Amino acid sequence: MADAFFEVQGLTKRFGGLVAVDNVSFRIDQGEVVALIGPNGSGKTTLLRLIMGVLKPDSGRIIFKGKDITRHRSCDIVKRGIAGTFQVVKPFRNLPCIMNVMVACMVTKAKRGEWTKRLAVKARDALEFVGIADLSLERAAVLSHGDLKRLEIARAISTEPELLLLDEPFGGLNPAETDLLGKSMRRLHKGGRFGRLHSEEMVMLIVEHKLMDLMKIVDRVLVLNFGQIIAQGTPEEIASDNKVIEAYLGKGVILGAS
Amino acid sequence: MLQMILLRGAMVGAVYASLAVGFSLIFGVARIVNLAHTAFFMLAAYMLFTATSMLGLNTFLSIVISIVLVTAVGVACYKAFLERIREHEGAVILMTVALALAFQELMLLLFSGVYRGVAPFIAGNVDIIGVTIPIQQLLIVGITAVCLLAVAAFLYWTNLGLAVRVTAQDKEVTNLMGINGNKTAMISMALAVALAAVAGAVVAPTYVVNPYMWAHPLVMMFAAVILGGLGSMKGSFIAAFILGYVEVLVVFLIPEGSFIKGAVALAIVVVILFLRPEGLFGVTFEEERL
Repeated sequence: MADAFFEVQGLTKRFGGLVAVDNVSFRIDQGEVVALIGPNGSGKTTLLRLIMGVLKPDSGRIIFKGKDITRHRSCDIVKRGIAGTFQVVKPFRNLPCIMNVMVACMVTKAKRGEWTKRLAVKARDALEFVGIADLSLERAAVLSHGDLKRLEIARAISTEPELLLLDEPFGGLNPAETDLLGKSMRRLHKGGRFGRLHSEEMVMLIVEHKLMDLMKIVDRVLVLNFGQIIAQGTPEEIASDNKVIEAYLGKGVILGAS
Repeated sequence: MLQMILLRGAMVGAVYASLAVGFSLIFGVARIVNLAHTAFFMLAAYMLFTATSMLGLNTFLSIVISIVLVTAVGVACYKAFLERIREHEGAVILMTVALALAFQELMLLLFSGVYRGVAPFIAGNVDIIGVTIPIQQLLIVGITAVCLLAVAAFLYWTNLGLAVRVTAQDKEVTNLMGINGNKTAMISMALAVALAAVAGAVVAPTYVVNPYMWAHPLVMMFAAVILGGLGSMKGSFIAAFILGYVEVLVVFLIPEGSFIKGAVALAIVVVILFLRPEGLFGVTFEEERL
């Protein structure tokens, strides 16, 4: 079998006695948009943090484009072409939005020492893409939650990743914002040039709590529960899968039943 | 009198400022409490002494050589001893104390405890705003000011400078944007040690060069950093001048009590910390805010 674009093999992470991610294996092929769903505490965020190198796995391997990237440092993983956004947005609060994005722009070309002005042009394109170019000179601390989420995405796409990991991108957004963000994602996936930003069929792994918002965007869904993958398939299959419904609602769905 | 206080205070403040700003820079970026910081200041003075008095090199060539060499020693120390234990703050402090003592003993071995002197870069005096002062003292202010401005320009106008500044704000997030935290830490270490070396080299002609000359500046640098607010370079800069002027004022107002200048300066730090425990420009770090 040919090498997958991105593959996770038997990944396990324990926090003390709790097995947060339990022997998880899956693969993502070129050109796919995959959703990773699961109830609260099922290990979705931990899995993303393992992939990004923030946490080190206890066992298992992560393979990206044929190269083993398990246990690499985050900065090296980003350089290889994986970028992620996080559930809890953490901007550099005292810096203007544009500077926040410029930091991420630096990775694409190691042209350090270049005057910051050059990066600013590219950073502005990223902000324009996510639709907050008018806020580019505001300090990140004054942004609303929805705008911060978009800033986070602008930062992630400025590293021009081939694989984009999004952790609850729709969390806390209103329906209009959700719609807008969904559109941006489809544009990213189709690929092309956005000003100076380049994207080529960006492969995405979107972590969400609910499947509803993602139905139209994703090709395939992975369902995680208690750190294990319990189902995978097309969104339609998953929506009617008994095991998935059970995971979300509990067995029998009767009040008081254990 | 007033002019004299202004000039002398500027000189003392400039020296403390270049030490304190460098210390803040490493602390902010790498979370390293570098107690060996002023040991590099001492090393630079000794290197300059060796180059000018023992090897008889040209003064300005010697200055450049000593600054470059001391910076190289600083970066080597970071790479060899500090980088691998960076996560353990206590170990880092012990290691920097060990480094400082090692340098002190090394200088004792090489140069013995004899007090050494370095000739002024440019001999003679100059008349300025109505007082006569040695040209060397003007050079101290001028050279440190240029170096501090250069560091500020680097931090605020270049991409690499931006990378260094954001590492100081949030190491984890910066790492997730593809910036190597070890590299930015090394750069800040190099900049900071270079600033300390510049200070050491320019003050050498006005100091008695001896193996223990790092202790008093270390205390004053610490006082400036704490007064200015831990982690704030702007705060360190301003606090360094406050302390410099306090020291000079004490010497001028009570000449017979000039030995208490350090104590008075530190007492002022204590008073200000009572009123503002976080220092003048205290910053909270991202990881502590959570």
